[in-house]
Amino acid sequence: MAATQFVVNGLLVGALFAAVAVGFALIWGVVDIINLAHGEMVMLGGYTSYWVLSLVTGNAEGSPLLFLATIPVAIAVLFVVGYALQRTLVSRVIGTDIFLTLLVTFGASIAIQQLAIQAWSANPRSIQVRFADPSMTLGGIVVPKMKLIAFVGAIVLTALLYLFLQKTRTGRAIRAVSQNPEAAALVGIDVEHTRAVTFGVSSAIAGGVGSFIAVILNIQPQMGLIYTLKSFVIVVFGGVGSIPGALIGGLLLGSVEELVAGFISSQWTLAVSFSLLIVLLVVKPKGLFGQGVEQ
Amino acid sequence: MSTSDEDSRGALRSILPPESVDRFLDACNDHGWQLLGVGTLAAVSLPLLGLEAGYFMTVITEMFLFAILALSWDIVGGQTGYPSFGNMAFFGIGAYTTAILTKDFALAFPVAFLLAGLVALVSAAVIGVVVLRLRGHYFAIATLGVLLAAQQVSRNLDITGGASGKILLQTPSGEAFYYLFLAVLIVEMGVVYYLSSTRFGFVLNAIRDDEEKATAMGFNTTYYKTAAWMLAALFTGFAGGAYSLFNTFIDPQTAYNGAWNVELIAMALLGGSGTVAGPVIGAFGLHTIIEIVESYAVGWQLVLLGGAVIVTVIGFPNGLVGTLREYASEMEYYKHGGMAAANADDAEVSSDE
Repeated sequence: MAATQFVVNGLLVGALFAAVAVGFALIWGVVDIINLAHGEMVMLGGYTSYWVLSLVTGNAEGSPLLFLATIPVAIAVLFVVGYALQRTLVSRVIGTDIFLTLLVTFGASIAIQQLAIQAWSANPRSIQVRFADPSMTLGGIVVPKMKLIAFVGAIVLTALLYLFLQKTRTGRAIRAVSQNPEAAALVGIDVEHTRAVTFGVSSAIAGGVGSFIAVILNIQPQMGLIYTLKSFVIVVFGGVGSIPGALIGGLLLGSVEELVAGFISSQWTLAVSFSLLIVLLVVKPKGLFGQGVEQ
Repeated sequence: MSTSDEDSRGALRSILPPESVDRFLDACNDHGWQLLGVGTLAAVSLPLLGLEAGYFMTVITEMFLFAILALSWDIVGGQTGYPSFGNMAFFGIGAYTTAILTKDFALAFPVAFLLAGLVALVSAAVIGVVVLRLRGHYFAIATLGVLLAAQQVSRNLDITGGASGKILLQTPSGEAFYYLFLAVLIVEMGVVYYLSSTRFGFVLNAIRDDEEKATAMGFNTTYYKTAAWMLAALFTGFAGGAYSLFNTFIDPQTAYNGAWNVELIAMALLGGSGTVAGPVIGAFGLHTIIEIVESYAVGWQLVLLGGAVIVTVIGFPNGLVGTLREYASEMEYYKHGGMAAANADDAEVSSDE
């Protein structure tokens, strides 16, 4: 019974990890960059929601609906941040050494993180959402309502991204650039703009997830790196460039972490997931669902 | 844009002719041992000339520390082409080794210091077997994962003092650390400089340039990579081993410091990675700047660090030494007949390098 509860908890949180990882995978697939500042987008999204809510209500508390209304703001702000990040910094190192691209995004990550500490202090914060009855019980399993909302929200964001990529013109352009940038440029796609949009969309989703994280966990300026690394683990699990793979990878990682936290101790989750990552990289570098990854 | 660029280049050429830069670099190359000797003498004589234990000695000692770390990173990152984001793992391992051995086992510091290097070396062998099979993104992230996992392990164990760390009170004097870090740095510079003209060093560079080709030429690249990785870990472990007592305090955050890892990469890049002098110059320069910023605007040094990394990577990824070398070789190119002779001279130019 305890195990089922842990797995349910894991799935609920795992969907959030997955939604962050989907954006990370998208940037990796389309721009061929590991964005080490991706976790900072989650952090910034959380803070955006936090400050918007504080502005409206005076303190970071509110009804569920009011909180949900702040998410589009976080998404919009982070789209702009992501777009600008690609246009001003990342576009300058595309096509050079992989290592340089890693360093630029790592540099951006440190700068954003430290500016956030300067601006908002290093204290963890969280948004309080008021419910008359904060959790419900389904067949003996406790499900906090807010986690359920966050779960649904993350799935919706992921699904929206999927639809955006499949159905819209911009989405098709993004896929075209990911397959072959030269050919895409030849048929008249603005490659630079498309890449920046990819960055913007990925950051926007990470920002939206950040808002949920501010409610069900907490936010602090240095939280980003963990989410970047989790995204990496998930993408390696699921295979680069596969949205369903990233979704399953995220749910899997969430469950593994909750099981470790439940049966051993929450302090060991990180060490366990990275050991898992390294084992997986060595044993099955193409991911569980990927068709092949350039090493 | 292009004309003003040309003008400034022309002005620069008349002040600092590429030829003399070239000659200067050649002279440095030819007299590496003498330069190292002069540097050692200068550094050794500083305390004798009146540098007393205190703020400035601490800052200079930290410069030596960062130079050791940057140069160690460069053995694997710059010379072998495996950019690691997890070098600080060995720093932490070394730091905790001396902290635990001197505090809990009452071992003498020199013994604990040597063991710190040894423990780092052994852990590098174990970790290296796994992570050195990966390349590119995967290697970088796996090493970052190793760093964070090591940090979490040290946070959870009892013997490391958990998250609150260990306070170390019985430590040698500041002057002793000045000489200790200096000695490690000099030995490391000597080793790296010596290796750069041996078969071992050339194979490392070959792995960086094209690992498949190096394998095809019959080199067991795994052996060379692992050896370089262990060498880097040895010196990083020594640095860490001395640091915990130098700092009189160690906790998971300082021992496995991800920001330092980026800092030392930035130092190696700024100075010029793949060279002996580059990382050391970069470490001295960047640490001076960070120290100045820290004393005027506490808390902003890491913002600056992030900015410095970005500017270095975008502005001049070859670093100081690399940029100078490029500048010096401009003249060489024209002397050999410029574009017209480029093809004919290929063989000669490459043998010059």
